[in-house]
Amino acid sequence: MTGADLQALAPHLVLIGGTLALLLAISFVRSHVLALAVTLATLVATLFALPASNAAGARVIDGFLAIDAYANFFNALFVIAAIASALLGYRYLERRITLAHREEFYVLLLTATLGAMAMASATHFAAFVLGLEVLSISLYAMIAYPEEGQAPLEAALKYLVLSGVASTTQLFGMALAYAATGSMAFEAAFSASSLLAVAGQAMILAGVAFKLSLVPFHMWTPDVYQGAPAPVTGFVATVSKGAVVALLLRYVVETGALGAAPLVLGVVIIAVVSMVVGNLLALLQDNLKRILAYSSIAHIGYLLIAVVLAASISGAPMALETGMVYLAGYFLMTLAAFGVMTVLSSEAGGEDAERLEAYEGLFWQRPLLAATLSAAALSLAGIPLTIGFIAKFYLFAAGAEGELWTLVWALVIGSAIGVYYYLRIIFTMTKTPAAEDEGEAREAAPAAERAGAWEAAAVVVALGAGIVVFGIYPTPIIDIARAAAQAFGG
Amino acid sequence: MTSLAVPMEHVLLIAAVLFLIGFAGVLVRRNVIFLLMSLEIMMNACGLAFVAAGAKWGQPDGQIMFMLILAIAAAEVAVALGLVLQLERRFDTLDVDAASELNG
Repeated sequence: MTGADLQALAPHLVLIGGTLALLLAISFVRSHVLALAVTLATLVATLFALPASNAAGARVIDGFLAIDAYANFFNALFVIAAIASALLGYRYLERRITLAHREEFYVLLLTATLGAMAMASATHFAAFVLGLEVLSISLYAMIAYPEEGQAPLEAALKYLVLSGVASTTQLFGMALAYAATGSMAFEAAFSASSLLAVAGQAMILAGVAFKLSLVPFHMWTPDVYQGAPAPVTGFVATVSKGAVVALLLRYVVETGALGAAPLVLGVVIIAVVSMVVGNLLALLQDNLKRILAYSSIAHIGYLLIAVVLAASISGAPMALETGMVYLAGYFLMTLAAFGVMTVLSSEAGGEDAERLEAYEGLFWQRPLLAATLSAAALSLAGIPLTIGFIAKFYLFAAGAEGELWTLVWALVIGSAIGVYYYLRIIFTMTKTPAAEDEGEAREAAPAAERAGAWEAAAVVVALGAGIVVFGIYPTPIIDIARAAAQAFGG
Repeated sequence: MTSLAVPMEHVLLIAAVLFLIGFAGVLVRRNVIFLLMSLEIMMNACGLAFVAAGAKWGQPDGQIMFMLILAIAAAEVAVALGLVLQLERRFDTLDVDAASELNG
């Protein structure tokens, strides 16, 4: 390992150092503010280490991790999402978790981010598995973090068992691929002529589809979203899915795993079914977390257009660019939606503010939060002047370039269905509260507490502004993504 | 290549059978501890398949993956047992069906 390798690994090293520092700090001083401060300092330092890492050029470290502009684009997204989650989680933990148990949350947040970063760079089965498990195991504990109530515990157990089955399926697939090809590095781990290798790839893709909660592997998603505490749900929805998408795109491009016709067909079917079923089931929900869960199923289904395009060699740069821009938009709008939910949940005790009724009349009581949630909903629906529109436009362009017309049609139909339930969220917020007592309960919350969640509210408003600003002027994101996609593998 | 006394296909077959036994256990068992044991069987089936594949190619990679799997399984079980303790303490049961408030 050379100096340049170390420079390329700087973000990972800073993050690991920060995690250890936080662990030490917690064991000496139990202070919630201190834990938050160390976490934020670590994450910001990691963010600043990314340009330094880029300056070292694209490097593959021991055939294990590829640190390039592509990985660092995703790393930046993960770190920003972690910063937002830490700030959002602060008041939430303060209100709901007893004094002695708040600080470890941030350790888990940092290790989960580290796992995601490893996944974005993985070029070897071992790095793939290691990153995925570091991320997943941190998430189990984060989901089960609240001390009371059945839902978080149940969600965590469900996630642990099902995700365990998915991971082992994936591992078995890797073993088969290795048995067939004799290599665990992505670039040599596939040969379309071997039945064993094709079966292995199918198992690996099934495991990935589970992590991305694509139909028919989506059963866990609404339950886990609903059971997890709101700031963690936002993190699961963005970072854990983003990391798998980053890995999947790199994997497909490097292995050419979709070179086998049956596998492509399988992915196309999964994509179409996810887009349609995800949107249809979202129509039936009255719980905002479940709506967003089904909406995320549909959104990742849309994103598979980029994955299918990535299978063709000429389409790879466009597919990678699409994946990066789409995920940047998806991160912004999903975090904004869960951010609003977290702010409202931190103020009221008891259940998270997840039922749609809790949002009635929000426009009159909290105009800024309501405006942000509206921006997020419009963006998820793909309305122009939001980042969601740019993201969807990219998918159309990608679909047209690969002439994947089935997928493009499914995208159109899915988006059309989706508009209904996204607008329903906005209409709910404009309603004057029907149940007066609920409105009064909100009014009755002491002004001091309401002012208390200012840092979370600031994050939410910043995310909302990001949706609109990048929706009108997306050039910075596009430029970075394009440069990273062009530099990929070369 | 030929150092393997048993053909790799046979070992892979046993691994696949083990994998399916574990999978059936996850589907059928309702006690959390048994669920976790079934998961463990699946993990070890993967490990066996990796070792067989590694032996076929005469590389240590398969065994290294097995050690990695062991470490991962240990970490996963550590968190899982914490959750099991919480389940027992809060609801006085180890039955996963007793904890099914979420509808899905």
